[in-house]
Amino acid sequence: MYGGLDIAVSGMVAQRVRLNTIAANIANSSATRDADGNVNPYRRKFTVFMPGDPNAKNEMGRELGVHVKDILEDQAPPRKVWDPDHPDAQPEGSADAGYVYYPNFNSTMEQINALEAQRAYEANVASADAMKSLVAQALRLIS
Amino acid sequence: MADPLGLIGGSTPAHPIQTQKTKLPAGGQSIDPNAPTFKDLLMENLAKVNTLQQDATQAVEDLHAGERDDLEQVLMATQKADTAFRMLLQVRNKLMDAYQEVQQIRV
Amino acid sequence: MFIDGLTNADSTPTLRAAIGFAAGRQKLIAHNIANLSTPNFRPADVSVNEFRSQLRDAIDARRKQWGSHRGELKLSKTRQVEQKADGSLLLSPQESGRGVLFHDRNDRDLERTMQDLAENVAFFRVASDLLKTRNDMLNAAIRERV
Repeated sequence: MYGGLDIAVSGMVAQRVRLNTIAANIANSSATRDADGNVNPYRRKFTVFMPGDPNAKNEMGRELGVHVKDILEDQAPPRKVWDPDHPDAQPEGSADAGYVYYPNFNSTMEQINALEAQRAYEANVASADAMKSLVAQALRLIS
Repeated sequence: MADPLGLIGGSTPAHPIQTQKTKLPAGGQSIDPNAPTFKDLLMENLAKVNTLQQDATQAVEDLHAGERDDLEQVLMATQKADTAFRMLLQVRNKLMDAYQEVQQIRV
Repeated sequence: MFIDGLTNADSTPTLRAAIGFAAGRQKLIAHNIANLSTPNFRPADVSVNEFRSQLRDAIDARRKQWGSHRGELKLSKTRQVEQKADGSLLLSPQESGRGVLFHDRNDRDLERTMQDLAENVAFFRVASDLLKTRNDMLNAAIRERV
């Protein structure tokens, strides 16, 4: 019975990680530099889900449920904006001289992804509630 | 007073337990020999309780096998069977108490 | 032995089978909900109608053999449900494949999955409450106190 709760909780954890990733994306949707200060536009991060949960406490929770296998960066080329006076513009002589590289994703799309992640999170909460009510109901058999 | 067992008025235990036309003092009712005895009533109600239990079992099985989907009827059938059984249990307890009380009578 | 008559009386075996099925299916549904966003995941479920007809056959077989009052319920093995030696059920889900295939090759259907969740919980509750009622009656009869 306890394994059932593991499944729902793994779903909640995975969706929360996804939501955090999306929040980071939205926050950095205009970042032209990376953490070290180099001119390296932010790349959208996305989570890769896989069934099964190696961190689960119970045997059944390990084969059912979901976990985040990896957080990868989207390798799409950055968006180019013509702005030669920008301090982060590509220097003269390089391929895209005068262009500034911006992150290549749409923050509106990320907001919609955030909505979907939230919806999936709530579905997992409902699943956990159902499992709890099942256990409570089964306990009433003996009382 | 009615005398369904026929003990008063000189009938012997060898007689079968049936109502008998007894002469009662002034103005009492006389007993109809064809009226059901307590024993008959008891057996009839026993059979009824059994029928209710079987109906409830059938209803529950049909509900879970998908042949009916009126949950409230199944619940009511179960309730009826359970109430009837509890009533029968109480009647049985009272009868046992009465029997033991009769046993205590010092003759 | 009369104890078997107690544990297999009337509708008790049916209710036990129903509870076992509902509990097993609950984990499948929870697994599907946890994997709502997993790419290449196809939600798998067991069919309730198939279980119902399996139950119907087992009930009829039991009635023919023992009458309605007693006897074990023996579920025949199907593709999805198998009854193990101790009476518990082993569920082998098949893919339902009824939703729209999204771009991540996951054919989830959130509304129907939540409906399945609610229905399964209700199914479990009904069977468990009826089993409790039977237990109470049995206890009342044994105690000789209503």
